[in-house]
Amino acid sequence: MNQNTASKGKVKRFTKMFIYAHWIYAAAFFLLLLTGLPLFANSFHWVYAVFGGPDMTQIFHRIFAVIFVIPPIMLLLFDRKSLFHWLKEVLTWKPKDIKFFFMFPKEFLVGNPDMPKQGFYNPGEKLNSCMQIVSFFALVFSGLVLWFPEAFPVSVVQWSNLIHVVAFIMATTVVIGHIFLSAFHPNSKPSMEGITKGEISVDYAKHHHGEWYDELVEKGEVVEEDSKGA
Amino acid sequence: MTTYSKLVDVTVCTGCRACMVACKNWNDLPVETQAYSGGYQSHEKPTGKTWNVLQMKEHETANGGFEWLYRHSACYHCADAACEKVCPEGAITYGEFGSVDIDQEACVGCSYCVYNCPFDIVELADYVTEDGDVRQRAQKCTLCEDRLQEGLQPSCVDTCPLDAIVFGEREEMLKLAEERLEKAKQFFPNAQIYNPPGVGGTKMFYVLADKPSVYGLPENPEVPTSAVLWKDIAQPAGKALLGVTMMGVLTGYVTNKLFNKGEHHEEGGEVDESKHG
Repeated sequence: MNQNTASKGKVKRFTKMFIYAHWIYAAAFFLLLLTGLPLFANSFHWVYAVFGGPDMTQIFHRIFAVIFVIPPIMLLLFDRKSLFHWLKEVLTWKPKDIKFFFMFPKEFLVGNPDMPKQGFYNPGEKLNSCMQIVSFFALVFSGLVLWFPEAFPVSVVQWSNLIHVVAFIMATTVVIGHIFLSAFHPNSKPSMEGITKGEISVDYAKHHHGEWYDELVEKGEVVEEDSKGA
Repeated sequence: MTTYSKLVDVTVCTGCRACMVACKNWNDLPVETQAYSGGYQSHEKPTGKTWNVLQMKEHETANGGFEWLYRHSACYHCADAACEKVCPEGAITYGEFGSVDIDQEACVGCSYCVYNCPFDIVELADYVTEDGDVRQRAQKCTLCEDRLQEGLQPSCVDTCPLDAIVFGEREEMLKLAEERLEKAKQFFPNAQIYNPPGVGGTKMFYVLADKPSVYGLPENPEVPTSAVLWKDIAQPAGKALLGVTMMGVLTGYVTNKLFNKGEHHEEGGEVDESKHG
């Protein structure tokens, strides 16, 4: 199933390495969030009990932090093609992307049949990726300072406290939206297959990533009839 | 409500270090050996194990003479304490006698207070918890609150043979400081009171013989701007944003359940057929 050619009625979207990277990142993010939350809100004090006390929780936070930086390195070493494709796609913004955001609230709430044609990623996905990239670097660098505070001037440590919390809030906000749209929203839910099995139905590609679909048809990777038959 | 203060008139201090000994003794603090730094001063600065340190500065006077600048240094017990602001556990509170207290049982050793203290006073040090475990917990001068509760004076105050350190109601201490300042000015023209407003004033405050910077003290210590942005803006706004986002996706979930069926069929029929049988 995960060969270069997709199954019938399906189209290849992500490589195995890209999928591993996504889920390692997701797991580390979730565990970092969990182990960090008690320092953000007292209602998460129960986390200390789960991880064996506040001191152990802080040690776990550092272990998860190391895992957190592995996915980008993994892609850089073993799947540069996917990494650069992703970066190029999510960093390319067009004026028409703004239109998407105006039409999105309706799509979000009840579905909007008039959504404009999208490329490999829609602007929402691009925004999610961009905000994750920014918050990733902010979290990693401020986190490093907070891990080794003696190595930095005290004002750098103080500002890192602020940066760490702002970046975590930013990242968590987009993650909530990301999880909802990929796991709970009826229109975009089928996209989940892309990041589990690596391929999505041709039909979904046609309806949600029209421009990408057209490219695939043009390249002959998808035969127009495919979608009708699926 | 009556508030209290500790006044330290460094202009009459002779550097005997009895306050250091009394503090170590009363608070049962461990020995802390540091490398010899080449001077008379015992420790570089107050730490989690040594809550007050007598600073000894060799100072050249305006007319080329030499003098010692002695200074009892310990927690300043800020009225607007940065450590209290940044503590995520509510482990740092204001005591009834003007002290800033750390509850080591509530402390989790995150060290936010350590790096936000404008005076570099708080430090983590070994603490034996109620369960008998040794943990790294924030520690510093308590203003001997345990003694104050019993009607005693802080041990450094009690011990000081020259009344360079005095403790009492804040109003009285402020008045006394003015009197002490008048006397000090006869010998030290630059003498001044150090009760920095950037941290709301301090419950341990000085009569200094010279400018604060001469003693290595910050001229205008403040609660760090980053700490104000962090705790007064980022944290409450972040909680609100995360709450609103959760509400948003819950709303989206419900509205899609209720109203999205028809359009979804049109859009991608068999994509998730199981839902729409």
